[in-house]
Amino acid sequence: MALLLRTLSRQGVCLSKPHYHVLYRQAAPMGTTAKEEMNKFWAKNSSLNRPMSPHITIYKWSIPMMMSITHRGTGIGLSGAISAFAMAALILPGNYTHYLDLIHSLSVGPFLIGLAKFGIAFPVSYHTYNGIRHLYWDIGKGFKIPEVYRTGYTVIGLSVITSIALTLM
Amino acid sequence: MNGCDVEPTQLLIFYHHSSYCSAAALQRDLAAVCGWITHVLPCSAAGSDSKAASLHWTAERVLSIALLALGPVAYFSPGPFIDYSLAAALTLHGHWGLGQVLTDYVHGDTKVKLASAGLFVLSTVTFAGLCYFNYNDVGICNAIALLYSK
Repeated sequence: MALLLRTLSRQGVCLSKPHYHVLYRQAAPMGTTAKEEMNKFWAKNSSLNRPMSPHITIYKWSIPMMMSITHRGTGIGLSGAISAFAMAALILPGNYTHYLDLIHSLSVGPFLIGLAKFGIAFPVSYHTYNGIRHLYWDIGKGFKIPEVYRTGYTVIGLSVITSIALTLM
Repeated sequence: MNGCDVEPTQLLIFYHHSSYCSAAALQRDLAAVCGWITHVLPCSAAGSDSKAASLHWTAERVLSIALLALGPVAYFSPGPFIDYSLAAALTLHGHWGLGQVLTDYVHGDTKVKLASAGLFVLSTVTFAGLCYFNYNDVGICNAIALLYSK
């Protein structure tokens, strides 16, 4: 009876199609989209002025969590850098070689140059290698926890090695 | 390739099994797929919305793989074609990636609309700037090479 009521009270249930029979638990697709459901959640909770439950402030940080947010952070950073470069190309006078020579003439010193090179090389390397790890997940492989950690450490190791190589080249 | 009835997943399998000797053909098809995805999809009922989302997901992965392939191609045969392909692939990958970030952190219809509009402007300006750089300056491949020639 409860099943009947629950099934009928769901939005968008269509009883005329045979596979939408009331006794099929959750067999029919929802009448609302995931996007609509999410919007409803946020609208309701923000209008009630509810505070957000603590999550990142209380949950123990793990390597996979840190690698995930680093992937996002490097992605945002790299995107920002590319956009900044593109806007500089449009706005600044003079060409690329002019600005390269300008930086050369500043005699910044090898350590700072190396730091800058590493600062570009590491995000590129990490995001690329972790990106491959993401694609590996996307074909459905490597989800067991030991595999997650193994591939994770591999990504970190390869990123460091590649970044150092690119910095010293 | 005017594959209006070809699923991107089928294309992916096609790429996997065929030997694509030229990055040019790959890029052309990729552009066709992207164009098809963004312009030909219907948008109304919940069913086709989820179909659109699923195709978008697949397109994101196809683009990521294409971008990975562009790396060695750019290293071994730099030139204007790779420069413009990189400009397009990098900008689109960044646009879609930032789009996911927006979806995760921005809530509420007006805020989402504003943020999406801002992102669109940013991506457009980025692509324009990169193309300008490719056309009027040394180009992306040479720019990276010059960093290492000092």
